[in-house]
Amino acid sequence: MPCKRKLIVSTYYDENELDDEVHLSKGVFGRLLKLLKKYWILVFCGVASIAFVSWLDAYFTMLNKQIIDDAIVTKNVSLMIRLFGNYSLITLVQLAGFFVMMYSVGLLGEKLRYDLRRDLFNHLQKLSLSYFTKTPLGWIMSRVTSDTEKMADLLTWGITDSIWALTNIGFAVYYMLRLNAQLALIVVLSLPIMIFISFKFRVKIYYHFRRSRKANSKMTASLNENITGVRIVKALLREDQNLKNFKVLSTDMFRESYRAGLLSAIYLPTIQTISAISLVLILWRGGNMVGNSLISVGTLQAFISYIMFILWPIQDLARVYAEMQNAVASSERVFSLLETKPEIVDRSEIIPTNSLVGNVEFENVSFHYETDEPVIRNLSFKIPQGQKVALVGTTGGGKTTIVNLLCRFYEPSEGTIRIAGQDYLNYSLEDIQSRIGVVLQIPHLFSGSIRDNLRYGRLDANDEEIEEAARLAGAHEFISKFENGYDSNVGEGGNQLSVGQKQLISIARALLANPNIFIMDEATSSVDTLTEALIQKGMHQLMSGRTSFIIAHRLSTIKSADQIFVIEDGQIAESGNHQELIRKRGLYYNLYTKQFRHDLESRLDPFSPTDAVESPA
Amino acid sequence: MTTDIKNYKDIDISKITGDKKLPALWHLMHGYHLNFIVANLFTGLAALARTGMYLYLGDFIDRVIQSGIKGSNLFVSALSFGALITLQALSSFISSWMATLTAESATRRLRDYLFDHIQHLPFAYHSEAKTGDLLERATSDVDTIRRFFADQSINMGRILMIFIVSFIAIARINLRLALISIIIMPIVLVISMFFFKSLSRAYEAYQEQGAVLSTNLQENLSGVRVVKAFARQDYEIRKFDQENLKKFKLGKKFVWMHSLFWPLTDILCAAQGIGSNYIAAMMVINDAMTLGQFITFHGLLGWLIWPIRNLGRLIIDTSRTFVSLGRITTILKARQEDMTSASCEPSESIRGDIKFENVSFEYEKAQSVLEDVSFECKAGDVVALLGSTGSGKTSLVNLLPRFYDVTAGKILLDGVNLNEYSRQFLRSQIGVVEQEPFLFSCSIRENITYGVHREVSEEEIIAAAKEAAIHDVILEFKNGYDTLVGERGVTLSGGQKQRVAIARTLLINPRILIMDDSTSSVDMETEVQIRSALENLMANRTTFIIAHRIQSIMNADLILVFDQGKIVQKGVHEELLNQPGIYQDIYEIQARIDSALQEEIDRVNIL
Ligand SMILES: Nc1ncnc2c1ncn2[C@@H]1O[C@H](COP(=O)(O)OP(=O)(O)OP(=O)(O)O)[C@@H](O)[C@H]1O
Ligand SMILES: Nc1ncnc2c1ncn2[C@@H]1O[C@H](COP(=O)(O)OP(=O)(O)OP(=O)(O)O)[C@@H](O)[C@H]1O
Ligand SMILES: [Mg+2]
Ligand SMILES: [Mg+2]
Repeated sequence: MPCKRKLIVSTYYDENELDDEVHLSKGVFGRLLKLLKKYWILVFCGVASIAFVSWLDAYFTMLNKQIIDDAIVTKNVSLMIRLFGNYSLITLVQLAGFFVMMYSVGLLGEKLRYDLRRDLFNHLQKLSLSYFTKTPLGWIMSRVTSDTEKMADLLTWGITDSIWALTNIGFAVYYMLRLNAQLALIVVLSLPIMIFISFKFRVKIYYHFRRSRKANSKMTASLNENITGVRIVKALLREDQNLKNFKVLSTDMFRESYRAGLLSAIYLPTIQTISAISLVLILWRGGNMVGNSLISVGTLQAFISYIMFILWPIQDLARVYAEMQNAVASSERVFSLLETKPEIVDRSEIIPTNSLVGNVEFENVSFHYETDEPVIRNLSFKIPQGQKVALVGTTGGGKTTIVNLLCRFYEPSEGTIRIAGQDYLNYSLEDIQSRIGVVLQIPHLFSGSIRDNLRYGRLDANDEEIEEAARLAGAHEFISKFENGYDSNVGEGGNQLSVGQKQLISIARALLANPNIFIMDEATSSVDTLTEALIQKGMHQLMSGRTSFIIAHRLSTIKSADQIFVIEDGQIAESGNHQELIRKRGLYYNLYTKQFRHDLESRLDPFSPTDAVESPA
Repeated sequence: MTTDIKNYKDIDISKITGDKKLPALWHLMHGYHLNFIVANLFTGLAALARTGMYLYLGDFIDRVIQSGIKGSNLFVSALSFGALITLQALSSFISSWMATLTAESATRRLRDYLFDHIQHLPFAYHSEAKTGDLLERATSDVDTIRRFFADQSINMGRILMIFIVSFIAIARINLRLALISIIIMPIVLVISMFFFKSLSRAYEAYQEQGAVLSTNLQENLSGVRVVKAFARQDYEIRKFDQENLKKFKLGKKFVWMHSLFWPLTDILCAAQGIGSNYIAAMMVINDAMTLGQFITFHGLLGWLIWPIRNLGRLIIDTSRTFVSLGRITTILKARQEDMTSASCEPSESIRGDIKFENVSFEYEKAQSVLEDVSFECKAGDVVALLGSTGSGKTSLVNLLPRFYDVTAGKILLDGVNLNEYSRQFLRSQIGVVEQEPFLFSCSIRENITYGVHREVSEEEIIAAAKEAAIHDVILEFKNGYDTLVGERGVTLSGGQKQRVAIARTLLINPRILIMDDSTSSVDMETEVQIRSALENLMANRTTFIIAHRIQSIMNADLILVFDQGKIVQKGVHEELLNQPGIYQDIYEIQARIDSALQEEIDRVNIL
């Protein structure tokens, strides 16, 4: 029986979601900048053009002032024509800058998205199975799809907007100071207040925003699970309850987004009102000054323009700042995924090999999943090359775990596994896994055609070889009955096939790989007796010469094994061939004869040789 | 704060799935139309206040220059200017508030609706659908719609109001000038419409490719064991990279079109601005206009061109929204399973007499899965199904809870055609242990009680677990019944999962029990344990058992042997045993092994 253990499930995917103070850690920024390094030309174009555009934005107001004061008020037509000419030219230049900015920043964004997705995907391929067991699929999905978007947005529009805003404010203040220091002071004094309030608001707004993001990821996870388990949901009539649960999440989402929205709705008018106050002051003071001819009308107009315009950069800055917190949190999540070390990696020195022909040996192997409670305890055995070994035992005994170790999905916590005389840690993962053909307990197919799925076993297999493997696995017959034969779609996860059909295709797929070591983990548990008998001969032939591991509960599958291990509580409780084990009258005997004894108790035993049917030879 | 949601049943799906996209979007706001209108009215008011500011500003400057108002008078004027700004601020607050409320409420309802709709789509839909794709539509596309409600649709009101108000205000200064100032409008419209087409195509392609990537990723992650087992990482990386690159290229195209569109319309708008300003300036010089009027005009002109420029953006954004709406409505168009309508509504539980009359069934047209199946059983009977892989056993039992409906023939339950019962009722009476157990990522306790819609006592849970021979195993986990299982139950062994699924179904206490190959991953010893527990449970309910071992089914009251969708043999064990046929063949293969075992046992016992 299995030992007590705490199962580690999805505990850490919530961690980063809701820390309110995100420390804009240097490490993250450094890494973000590193992402940009490759595209420094684009970055340069973007930054230069945005600064240029922003400067011109501030300059136009000055130009307007000049037009009013020097041309209109003085009625100087020729100057006015010249000024308008300049205006047009500068506009054209600015638009060119705008174009460069749009394109380079947009392109940069797409490139970063591409890079990030690629890096994440490539890294995910390296991570070990244990990672995928404890990390919800929806969590990983949202890292790759939505967090990368946010990072790219931060690195492109986030930076663009802040550069634009800062340049704009800077130039505006500069021009205002040049126009009139006294009036400029009013604006300059109001700036810190506006900025302070902006940041306060934005932090609050994004507090809710982030909570809504969290609600969002929970909603996505719930949706994901409901879709993948929809058959059970329907069979158990859980629709109403699940909708109710979902509504709790969508209500959270609503509440948080609504609050964020409401705060935003208050924020902008607040800033506008503050700017209104400084505007009133400027009109009052400035009006007086114009009246006293201390400043020109154009100057007053320019001030009004600046102060009304400066709202936007401030608002932008505040938005970028707050979004930045969010995007930095996204970046941290992405980087933390990229930094997750695969638990199982190739050792620094590997022995390249293209065959794993040889003995398979477990020496004092112990293993536990995430907890300290052992699943495999001090397991030792040696299997000579070419032998067929059967693993049997009560469920949960650790058979699949042994397979996981053998395929190096996990590595032993203690002890050594040797293949062909070498500690298997000395081989590369790829060499091991491409030499071992395994049929997993849960048959999984990818959506696509049957042919594609079979070819997964050997990418360069031709159609004849595929058919040959399907024949050996007893799959050819049903495949050829489908209208589209080998080109029939199997549906997501293979759900358009019967379970037995999926198992047969998985077997064929593993056969096609032509492995040195063959493992079948309850590979025919849902296959009918006749088909099983049919393929057994072929399989037998195929396995001869290959070391093979068979896990099964049916006697028919295991009887002919050279050795049978009864796995109980992570240990070999008994071993030997069928005859020997029966003679032992131990666990194996009990496992396979209990049914007889049970049947004898309940009714006459139907399989006794003296029953109605002639005793089969 | 009004945060109540209108019931999602308020929306009438036929109004959303029509060809007209704008009415569909309008209908999605059903129940919040008033809020929406208020939001738009107040953006209008804000626009009005803003225009007022410029008018006032012009007036102010004229007076300052001409009459030279000073001191407190000036201060009062300045104050009224401030008041206008405040009015503007207040209106824009109310407008954004209402807009948020509308957008968030409408999307929340849409989300709920989609969730419920998806879980009510028939099995047939789900066996074709891709999870990654559905997810992408229910999240990213819904968000596009939310943004439309929150910003873009409100902008529509703003754009219109600002345009009208600014136009009238300018026209009051000078009609000709006003008309001259909008000559680019038709050009911008034409260009936008031109880009609308190609940009929405580009965006649709981009979005679809996003869904392809999600699906790709989802498949890779859910099949991670297979990827590793065949060391196919490089292959997967290449495959993903291809799609990723495609998305990049589509994105690049999209960016290129945007970079062309914005500056192009901006050039037009800038030309318009410069031209109109020039004409106005000339008018001031020619004394056809005051300086104050010029300043007013100058300010207003910005607000006249702004809507024109943004109209283009609005059109482009709307194209995105239409694309997303289209992607959502393809889901919504799929017909839900009718759960409730019934012409026969028994007030109590069914008895469980079942009769199949010439039932045929196919998943896809002309690909028959079950053909002319007829049999009959009485309440309390045990019916066993045996047959080759893919012969239609699972398909047959799936007909009973009406996961699928028969293509021809009929099924009678207690003498009434199955189609006359509601699916809801049938499913409450029938318990299925699926061939591939699916557990949810919650505790074992929650998984066991997943199908019961009432409070369940600890004793009941334990009793069910004991019958499924899983109780002892659960107790050995550190957290017992509170042990969390990973997604799909990955942290349990195959046999443990199956037994939790059995316990889950037993707890429902169904009138008809279906066990689809549900002890295939369980060892013989445990199977015997489960079987003896089931014997009591099966006593007074109709039970369907699918199994491959004669041992498991020989006590059945009726055994059906399937081959390629047809019943080729039926009867009880003793009858079938004496007919030449599949049953006998299977029996012989199994008996050969078992009798050999028996002999060995005897031999051992004699020794
Ligand atoms: N990823 C995992 N994390 C934690 N515990 C696990 C994990 N996988 C399996 N276990 C536990 O380890 C024990 C052995 O499981 P294993 O899958 O090896 O059993 P098995 O012998 O293959 O059983 P079965 O015949 O039912 O398939 C079980 O108690 C199971 O709950
Ligand atoms: N969702 C589906 N869409 C299309 N075809 C399907 C679908 N599900 C099953 N089939 C096909 O219908 C046939 C019968 O499948 P079914 O699952 O009923 O077989 P079964 O008798 O239960 O087999 P097994 O013993 O392997 O579970 C198979 O040929 C299968 O490919
Ligand atoms: Mg197992
Ligand atoms: Mg089946």
